[in-house]
Amino acid sequence: MWNPHRIRFISDGTMRLTILVPLALAAVAPLAAARAQQPRTIAIDARLAADARLHVGDVVVLAAQPGEAGDTVRIAAITRPNADPSEIAHQEYRVRVHLDQLQSLTAYGDRVHRFAVQSRGGATTGSAVAAIDAAAFGFLAHRSRDVAVETSATFAVVSRFHRAIGVITVVASAIFLLCILLLKVDERRKDVAALRLSGISRATVVKSIVIEASMVALFGTLFGAALGWLATAIVNAHYQGVYRTPLRFALITPRTITFALVLSVVLGVAAGALAALRLARAHPLALLGRR
Amino acid sequence: MLGRLVAAALLGHRARTILAVAGVAVSAALLLDMVMLSTGMSVSFRSLLLARGFQLRVAPKGTLPFDTEATIADATATIAALRESPDIDAVSPVLGGNIHVPGANGTATSAVALGLDPRYQGDYEILAGRDPGEGEIVANDALLAAIGRGVGDTLTIAGGYDPQLRRFAGVRRVTIAGRARFLYLSRGQRAAAMPTASLQALGGASRRDRASLMMIRARPGADVETVRAWIARRLPRVTAISTETALAQVEERLSYFRQLAFILGSVSLVVGVLLVGTLVTVSVNERIGEFAVLRAIGVAKRTITAQIMIEGATLMLVGSLLGLLLGLVTARYLNAILSSFPGLPQAIDFFLFQPRSAWTALGLLAIAGVLAGAWPAWRGASLPVARTLREEAA
Repeated sequence: MWNPHRIRFISDGTMRLTILVPLALAAVAPLAAARAQQPRTIAIDARLAADARLHVGDVVVLAAQPGEAGDTVRIAAITRPNADPSEIAHQEYRVRVHLDQLQSLTAYGDRVHRFAVQSRGGATTGSAVAAIDAAAFGFLAHRSRDVAVETSATFAVVSRFHRAIGVITVVASAIFLLCILLLKVDERRKDVAALRLSGISRATVVKSIVIEASMVALFGTLFGAALGWLATAIVNAHYQGVYRTPLRFALITPRTITFALVLSVVLGVAAGALAALRLARAHPLALLGRR
Repeated sequence: MLGRLVAAALLGHRARTILAVAGVAVSAALLLDMVMLSTGMSVSFRSLLLARGFQLRVAPKGTLPFDTEATIADATATIAALRESPDIDAVSPVLGGNIHVPGANGTATSAVALGLDPRYQGDYEILAGRDPGEGEIVANDALLAAIGRGVGDTLTIAGGYDPQLRRFAGVRRVTIAGRARFLYLSRGQRAAAMPTASLQALGGASRRDRASLMMIRARPGADVETVRAWIARRLPRVTAISTETALAQVEERLSYFRQLAFILGSVSLVVGVLLVGTLVTVSVNERIGEFAVLRAIGVAKRTITAQIMIEGATLMLVGSLLGLLLGLVTARYLNAILSSFPGLPQAIDFFLFQPRSAWTALGLLAIAGVLAGAWPAWRGASLPVARTLREEAA
């Protein structure tokens, strides 16, 4: 739920908690007089800066409850949101505060929600997890990888859904392509009859039709890739605006283009060959409707 | 005669007809799925929220129900204040938490626990046994399977776990009074419910006289929005959320799926129309001699137009009917994928079949397909007879 009074604080990238923030945003005003006391610094995210019209260097008051005196702080930085899919549904503003200041502000005592621990990598991560679990009373260590798997479960589901929709779309496109190519080749009955009557061999006719169908499929795919690129740009611009995130929602990769290209050329060749063989087997006069 | 001519034209090009029908079927299936996706969430979420007749939810100020761990303090006083309103029929307080069922070798099975008033609750439905009384719980199948117990068994539960001291705030023996299905919990999530006082006691001091949520049922005829506004004035430390507001917020969070449904539905409609339009155009071009002959022997222009349009309509109709079946199968598969969203209530369906929407979608596809064939049909029937016959004979 979007709520201008609910702001998520993050301190040093390791601690997260959600608290009610006093700042009725309209009331946040630069306090020039407080500059002389060298207030501590905070970083705010770009969305908060834009909505509350705050800038680097502005001095504001942070408090845990409305009406409390709070701390006077100076905005030292405006941060871009991360390109993190798990954050796009969260519309809270984020403010980064020094850990001790947040503890004091919220009367949280000498406590944190979690520690980020950097191991030396490899097998040492496993032994560090085991050592922390065994030795540190009241703590539970998780590998970053496991946390990532757990927090990205939603996106794994979305990804599976996209793949399933993709399969349906590919099947629909394949049938459409086959149908169009068959019709296109079928339209050439009179040309094929003329070629056959002028002495061109069946094999040459078949080859020419197959090549033509492949070319149609190839250029159609390239045109489709350009359209896809345009659609991708529109989708990204739209959703990046809606969710105010640098995350890219749609990507055209060389793999995607290669897949589309191979699929359409294979279908083009198959449809072309099928229709061409049918035409080549028929008598030229029959193709002209004279027999 | 018209029927025979249509059948002859379609059966004369079997491969083409089969491919066209298959193409329309896949397009229709995708369109149907997207219509189901665009409306399914709202309808099933609304049904879920209204399943037990509670139109309002009261949560701690600035939060959604169970969106955070925040709770409403002084729950008893809050309930008393809510009952002052003559427009409020029932108040059902719910406290959320976790319980642990100790097992062998120091292990424990954890489950979501709801503390509620069984007389007014709207969170579960009993499948076997009865509502829990003092010293009793009801549990869902996932929890019963995990602990290997059934209705009538007695077990020890613990709550209020302190990870620093590794101690529970409360431990007690309870009897399983019933087996229940929890409406708002996800598939496979272990859950139990008990009277609010029991869960508050298990949670220790931090849970005393607290509630996570209160569900409100307005009296018949009362205006829900008026009740909501009254609660906002009377209890400034809570947020009252109506079904409409909750729906709007869920729709906002899941707007991506609605937009995806719109885009893919539009694409499938265009593909179906293009397919039939192309097919009819090519078919007309191939048969202009035939149409000229029919016109020469006195067949009316509108009869020929009707024949061509019926060919397109037949393709669309057969394709759409096949698409309906295919769409239902694929919707079931896609729904199974999306149902595995973490935390999604089991009762929510993303793809919900509603006859009216389905027929509207398929009817739209059929009409669009018929109209796509109208122009080539009219052109084919309007050719100059003598010139066409001469050119075709040459």
